[in-house]
Amino acid sequence: MTTTVKDQAPAAIAAQKPKTTARKRRRKAPAEADHGRPASFRLYLAVIISATVFLIPIVWLVLASIATPAQFSQGAEGLLNISPTLSNFYEAVTRIDYGKFTLNSLLLATIMSTLTTATSAIVGFAFARLRGKGQKPLFTLLLATMMIPHIATLIPTYILFARMGLVGTYWPWVLWGLAGTPYLIFLFKQFFSAIPLELEDAAIIDGCGWWRIFVRVFLPLARPVILTSFILSFVWAWADYLAPALLLNYDNTTLSVATASGYLDPRGNGLPTIQAAGALLYILPVVAIFLVAQKRFMGSAVSSGVKG
Amino acid sequence: MSTVTEAPAATTGTSRGRGWRRYRSSTFYLFASPWIIGFVALTLMPIVYALGVSFTNYDGKSSFWRWVGFRNYVELITSDPSAMQSIVRTVLFTIIVVPLSVALGLVLAIMVNHRLRARGAFRAIFFLPSVVPVVATAIMFRLIFNRDAGLLNYLLSFFSDSKITWLADPYAFYVLIIMMLWGCGAGMVIILAALQDVPVELEEAAKIDGASSWRITRSIVIPLISPVLYFQVITGVIGTLQILVQPMLLAETSSIASSANVPQSTSLFMVEVYNEYFYNSRFGYGSAMLWVFFLFILTLTLVLQRLSKRFVFYQVESGNEE
Repeated sequence: MTTTVKDQAPAAIAAQKPKTTARKRRRKAPAEADHGRPASFRLYLAVIISATVFLIPIVWLVLASIATPAQFSQGAEGLLNISPTLSNFYEAVTRIDYGKFTLNSLLLATIMSTLTTATSAIVGFAFARLRGKGQKPLFTLLLATMMIPHIATLIPTYILFARMGLVGTYWPWVLWGLAGTPYLIFLFKQFFSAIPLELEDAAIIDGCGWWRIFVRVFLPLARPVILTSFILSFVWAWADYLAPALLLNYDNTTLSVATASGYLDPRGNGLPTIQAAGALLYILPVVAIFLVAQKRFMGSAVSSGVKG
Repeated sequence: MSTVTEAPAATTGTSRGRGWRRYRSSTFYLFASPWIIGFVALTLMPIVYALGVSFTNYDGKSSFWRWVGFRNYVELITSDPSAMQSIVRTVLFTIIVVPLSVALGLVLAIMVNHRLRARGAFRAIFFLPSVVPVVATAIMFRLIFNRDAGLLNYLLSFFSDSKITWLADPYAFYVLIIMMLWGCGAGMVIILAALQDVPVELEEAAKIDGASSWRITRSIVIPLISPVLYFQVITGVIGTLQILVQPMLLAETSSIASSANVPQSTSLFMVEVYNEYFYNSRFGYGSAMLWVFFLFILTLTLVLQRLSKRFVFYQVESGNEE
């Protein structure tokens, strides 16, 4: 599996690379421009139809969120001649302690993304610029851990944390953050590996130790990767459902758990229009971040696709 | 490319002057220690702990537990038909979802690799679903597949009078499949990047030889990007086999972490494991199920890797010294 890494990783991370190495690759932008065949009418039709199908769930969510429950229960006919109302959004933020859950989510995602970005940068630096016995097998292990089924390991992790009394606290996220994320470590490693040796040499001659070289020379160069790493881990933590559902109590849980379980009538049935409004509010930050930082998401998805 | 990567290694051991070494193992381990410690404590330990628990009858609360040897494993294999059914169901689900998802990703990638107007917008539309948090995705699909007010039953009402309860057995299984396929944009982006690395010359040469665009795709493009497709299949299989949250959230009434309401047709293996742990308080038995699952995934990965040698084409890049 590791054979592909060598072949493909450089292509994948090309976007993340410092300019010095860019010229060594086939240039990306022109290659892309003359690559695609021009589109026929039939292709346009196919793309537009697929895009419409892909958008239906989101459009439907928006429609449901501005419908009254009566309109919603009339089904599609009710939703298609809608008289928009914002009352669902009002209900969504008042039925549950919306501010508190949002703060919890923000706090958790910030803790997680800050710590994991810092740790991943340090470990990525170690794998890229330092040498030690057993480094190669360790790196293979790092890549292999990305294959470990995470959901399956989370359940026994829960038992361990429960025995240590960490359930109901944010400590698990601190620990996970401090341990770094293999995928982000890989991202940093790729970036740091491409920085020319001369920069490092100059710092060594100036008498810098490795920690100072890392902080003063490498970290400032890595700003784009740091941002990518922060954004990605923030969105992951924001979107995570299982870990907070297992490890937190209802009053310190995150918005994802509250959104999934907060909007029920007394008999425990979901209130669809309010759920829709809640869900829309909940994904709004993610969609906004996605639209602004689309390239980062796509670029990182690409390098995740060739990591093995 | 690789020259840059390899440069630090080249100077290893060249001691300029006595007593000065560029690299010390201890420095490397110091920098890498957060991950090493974290891996041991947060990944390895839980897995090993689960192995230990799987040989006990621990219920998660009481201190009265004892070793039961392989009894949990024996029970799982010989006398737990519902677990066996869920394994079959999960495998079937994976066999349907993964190839479809990769194929759909490939088709989308080929489409948006053409010179289209607003190509970026189309790419974003296809990719967006894979960024949407699962909680919201589940709500969206519950709205569309709602029995009385859903979009799908409305569209079907033009053809027939009966309403289908999509989120119950047996239809929930198909709803879950569609929900998974909605997220195929992540694969699309990866495949798209691979497509853009296919040398233009090869395609052009084939075109001059009179190959149709379908033929070019089948005989040139797909073999060249097969490592990426293969990787998609591996990660897809591992990810899909362990699906837990989606069936829970898709179930009609989902209160906090409710796996008891999951319809049978979407009660995949992890849901069963979850039930054993948190509804039946059978931590020992649940751990045994988890370990069977780990071993299954490990075997499957090794088998897939073997198979890959037969039909995955690994390109040897010229000018790559590695």
